[in-house]
Amino acid sequence: MPANNDYREAQLSIESVGKVFTSEPGLLRSLSGRRASGGYVALEDVNLRIEENTFVSIIGPSGCGKSTLLNLMAGLDEPSSGQILMDGLRIRGPGPDRGVVFQNYVLMPWLTALENVIYAIETAQPSISKGSAKEQAREYLSMVDLDKAMGRYPREMSGGMKQRVAIARALSIKPKILLMDEPFGALDALTRGYLQEEVLQLWENHRVTVVLVTHSIDEALLLSDQIVLMSSGPNARISDLIDLPRIRPRKRNMIETHPDFLAVKQRLEDHLFRETRAIEEK
Amino acid sequence: MTKSSLSKPMGLLVSIVSVVIALVVWQILAKQGLLGKNFPGSLETLKELQWWLSDPFFNNGPNDLGIGTNLLISLRRVMIGYSLSIVVAVPLGLLIGVSRLASSSANPFIQLLKPVSPLAWLPIGLFVFRDSELTGIFVIFISSVWPTLISTSFGVQTINPDYLRVSRSLGASQLRTITKVVLPAVMPNILAGMRISMGIAWLVIVAAEMLLGSGIGYFIWNEWNNLSLPNIFVAIIVIGLTGILLDQLIGALQKRFDYQL
Ligand SMILES: Nc1ncnc2c1ncn2[C@@H]1O[C@H](COP(=O)(O)OP(=O)(O)O)[C@@H](O)[C@H]1O
Ligand SMILES: [Mg+2]
Repeated sequence: MPANNDYREAQLSIESVGKVFTSEPGLLRSLSGRRASGGYVALEDVNLRIEENTFVSIIGPSGCGKSTLLNLMAGLDEPSSGQILMDGLRIRGPGPDRGVVFQNYVLMPWLTALENVIYAIETAQPSISKGSAKEQAREYLSMVDLDKAMGRYPREMSGGMKQRVAIARALSIKPKILLMDEPFGALDALTRGYLQEEVLQLWENHRVTVVLVTHSIDEALLLSDQIVLMSSGPNARISDLIDLPRIRPRKRNMIETHPDFLAVKQRLEDHLFRETRAIEEK
Repeated sequence: MTKSSLSKPMGLLVSIVSVVIALVVWQILAKQGLLGKNFPGSLETLKELQWWLSDPFFNNGPNDLGIGTNLLISLRRVMIGYSLSIVVAVPLGLLIGVSRLASSSANPFIQLLKPVSPLAWLPIGLFVFRDSELTGIFVIFISSVWPTLISTSFGVQTINPDYLRVSRSLGASQLRTITKVVLPAVMPNILAGMRISMGIAWLVIVAAEMLLGSGIGYFIWNEWNNLSLPNIFVAIIVIGLTGILLDQLIGALQKRFDYQL
């Protein structure tokens, strides 16, 4: 990974980041990982550099700190130690250069699909006129094939449609990085496959960087340039980085037959198995 | 038997039949003298009701107002006092919901004042305002402010944190998040509180007006002095029907803002 050693090429750079939760949910009290100080060390010394326009997947056993890491990148939470740089500047909070897609869509139920996207656009560009905000919102919704559903409320949409609105909303603020936290986890297999294709398309057409948290090995293989493997928590770290063959477009059957992909798949499975067993045996 | 096993028109029919039966039983009991001497029957009451409704808005001086005139006087007081309470309760509830400082400062007063009977405020109001009109409005305000206040702040405290995270991730300011996300998200809570507040306001005005000299509550007091029981029943029916109407009004608003989250 020669390119990774060059600081200037990284668009997002995570440097020695640690995250300690001090107010832990009650359930956690019985688990290990409590330090003498009383905090729960979710992440410890995480280092990662993400290059512009790459598609990066983060994969790891559940509860290891993937969402925590993504929230730190989004600026929704602050690292306890270390820092995260975006284009060389330290991240101090959320910003329109980063768009976030959450697992459970989180559309405002009192707004239609169109209004949900308009809310994002008007938030990111306070001086925009009502008319052009609406026009832009329409464009982004039609990009995710929702021309016919713009006037619908979230309760009138399927999970897949809602997630497409959420993706349109995240893209509508014209971010440089799209951060997605298990965006397809709650969807059925067919919808999931369809949305994966759509995200690939958007990524190719928009030239955004995508960071995707997933627990699906196949999803990571199908979509990514690079896969980030995380160890199980507490004190989770990045245990491996895997660069995938940059073959695009990538067909679904390719990852099941191509020897390079098969080798990576084997590696991922071994890793996840090991880390999950580590959790079970604690 | 579940509720749904009765169709809607059937349900309406059953309701009508039950009212008719109640009127018949009332009439029989009254005529048999089982409710005391000279207790009015339902027929007499309905006849009175018809008389009052045939010309509801006459005005022959303070002690001889049409029932509609009195009703409008009461409604006006309720609307002013109630509106004031909503205007105060919603922003204050939002503030208490978002700020621990505000909730800690306000809580002792809310806890202490909420259970106080509305009528306890009457002397205070009369002393401070020296005016029965303002006192009535004040009593309505102070007794109907609590449910909306509490329901609003509860709504804010139990808001789905994901909405706030999305808004924050888009870079929204605190103020924008409160007006564009928190407020609509707690709208169902606000309306639920407003519905209870409305019920209380209408409940309280009748009691308060007995001491205030006009309005539907005073009408009852006056008819009691005239020993006219049928007229009191007329007032009770009018008060009840108006209460239903007010409740349904907010019920309709609630339907409008039910997002089925
Ligand atoms: N706000 C919080 N307070 C305390 N502990 C937390 C908090 N958020 C997450 N954690 C803990 O940190 C660990 C990592 O959580 P998370 O990032 O959600 O994992 P993942 O997304 O990989 O499943 C978990 O053990 C979780 O319980
Ligand atoms: Mg997660």
